[in-house]
Amino acid sequence: MATALIADDEPLLRERLAALLGNLWPELEIVAQARNGREAVELFEDAQPEVAFLDVHMPGMNGIEVARCIGRRAQLVFVTAFDKYAVQAFEQGAIDYVVKPIGEQRLAETVQRLRERVASPGRDTPQWEATLEKMAAQLRERMAPKPGLKWIKASVGATVKLIPVEQVIYLKSDNKYTLVVWDGGEALIRKTIRELADELDASRFTQVHRSAIVCMDRVSHFTHGPGDSGELHLKGRSERLTVSRSYLHLFQQM
Amino acid sequence: MSFALPTLGAGSRTPARPPLRRVLLPRRRQLLTVVVVALLVAGALRPFAHNPYIELAGETLFVGLMLLFAFNAAGQWRQDAVPRWLVQVIAIAVAAMLSPLIVQLLTFGGDFSAFLGSRGHVRGYVLVMTVAVIIGTLVALGALYSERDAQARAQALQFALEKETLQRQAADARLHLMTAQIQPHFLFNTLANVQELVESGSPRAAPVFRSLIDYLCAAMPRLSQEDATLADEERLVRAYLDLMQMRMPDRLSYRVDIDPEVALMHFPPMALLTLVENAIRHGIDPGCEAGSVEVGARRELDGSVHLWVSDTGVGLSDEAGEGTGLANLNARLAAFFGEGARVELSEHAPHGVRADIRVHMRA
Repeated sequence: MATALIADDEPLLRERLAALLGNLWPELEIVAQARNGREAVELFEDAQPEVAFLDVHMPGMNGIEVARCIGRRAQLVFVTAFDKYAVQAFEQGAIDYVVKPIGEQRLAETVQRLRERVASPGRDTPQWEATLEKMAAQLRERMAPKPGLKWIKASVGATVKLIPVEQVIYLKSDNKYTLVVWDGGEALIRKTIRELADELDASRFTQVHRSAIVCMDRVSHFTHGPGDSGELHLKGRSERLTVSRSYLHLFQQM
Repeated sequence: MSFALPTLGAGSRTPARPPLRRVLLPRRRQLLTVVVVALLVAGALRPFAHNPYIELAGETLFVGLMLLFAFNAAGQWRQDAVPRWLVQVIAIAVAAMLSPLIVQLLTFGGDFSAFLGSRGHVRGYVLVMTVAVIIGTLVALGALYSERDAQARAQALQFALEKETLQRQAADARLHLMTAQIQPHFLFNTLANVQELVESGSPRAAPVFRSLIDYLCAAMPRLSQEDATLADEERLVRAYLDLMQMRMPDRLSYRVDIDPEVALMHFPPMALLTLVENAIRHGIDPGCEAGSVEVGARRELDGSVHLWVSDTGVGLSDEAGEGTGLANLNARLAAFFGEGARVELSEHAPHGVRADIRVHMRA
């Protein structure tokens, strides 16, 4: 008798799949139902089922990551709700996939294929691993954090404000604290200008002084000051930022 | 004629200030004006003076150039006590008095008493000086006026540009809503759930169906509806949360607490829903643990309305996050309630995110 694992974070969908499989493949025994990726791997190790139905989108670990842990030890069927990248990868034809909502007709085809493979193991398609690798890479790319800080956290009283970096106008520091000025107001944070300079997206933020970083999109113009200094004027704001000598070259062409 | 000087009075938008050396050198246009005016003045003075025209022209040209230099130099003098235009006019007057004197002293080889002794030359000096003060001041005022005019036009252009940008942002936000709000992903997943409830004969099928219909009804026509209220938004949010709870019953609990007192206030459609969706997508969905979402609105003592969406999900990581949705929402709130209405995000202890909006009632 064949055994199977179902992993999906939505209980109703697990039940539906189990019910459909019950009709289409009465001999198949559902030995485990997992609510997330990590649970799927644990339950798989315990039950060692021959077939695994994996939802692609799951908390903890996604279906592709689970598949990599399981490796060649089971027949894998991915279940996905319209995730184009997955569909595209599955179209390589190496592994079966089902798009939600699961149609009985479509699942019958899957069951047919699975029955054949379970009956005669070792007929795995050769590019199986390459396909998985490719899908994993695509997923990683999608989920990889984009370079650069997205939020600056600032304590205001008992709460921690989340300041979207895209709204930051400039940062100015004294010895210990840094003043963050953004569209929604001002806040003091404990990070130093040097730490922030490393974390911020360099294509948008420029250091103009030992103690100041400015978002270049918010600068309206530059003026020369007395001696070897200069000032940056900001769009729609009255304050000016001093540009020190070592950063003056950035604005000489303006 | 002179655009060398950045501000007239205390303008908030100061154009770039070029290096001093470049400002003090006269512009071609300034120079041309000075030369033409000097030659004309020399011609006009000819009947009153004994000197040949070329001598007179030389003198007026010299005086004119001195005035121009004084005008430009005074324009660079940074101080706040006296308006800049007044400083410049005074500079012109002083230069108009001094420069003809320099010319006279040159002809006398620097002998001041000899100059005073010659009535003819003193008369000539007074004549040139008076004319220089009058003409110089007039030309300077004309230059200042045209400068201010140009500045006003530049500012009007800037305002028009900003207005257009804001309008485009609002339009973009609208378009974004229309295309992105009802995602096929959401719809298919929800339908798959409903299908299971129906096929298994669950008694929950009917209420969930009603929530789905509520959600679709509320979401679809409201994209263009101008007079949507917070009550409409509440219905939408409840329907959405109900559907999401059906999909992850073991992971999501929620509470919606909108004070009936503010339910009829006008509210931009889908603004609260966007935050609720974010709470689910970035807070509850990625986590394996159970979490809750709380939505609320109430009127504050000062008459403003405070709305919030908080979740106990995984929280925002430093680097992940969806900037565009939030930017869109801010643009819509600003367009609807005026500048100053915006979403503030903070961390929700011990984990999760809290979004707060504070707005003034719009009847």
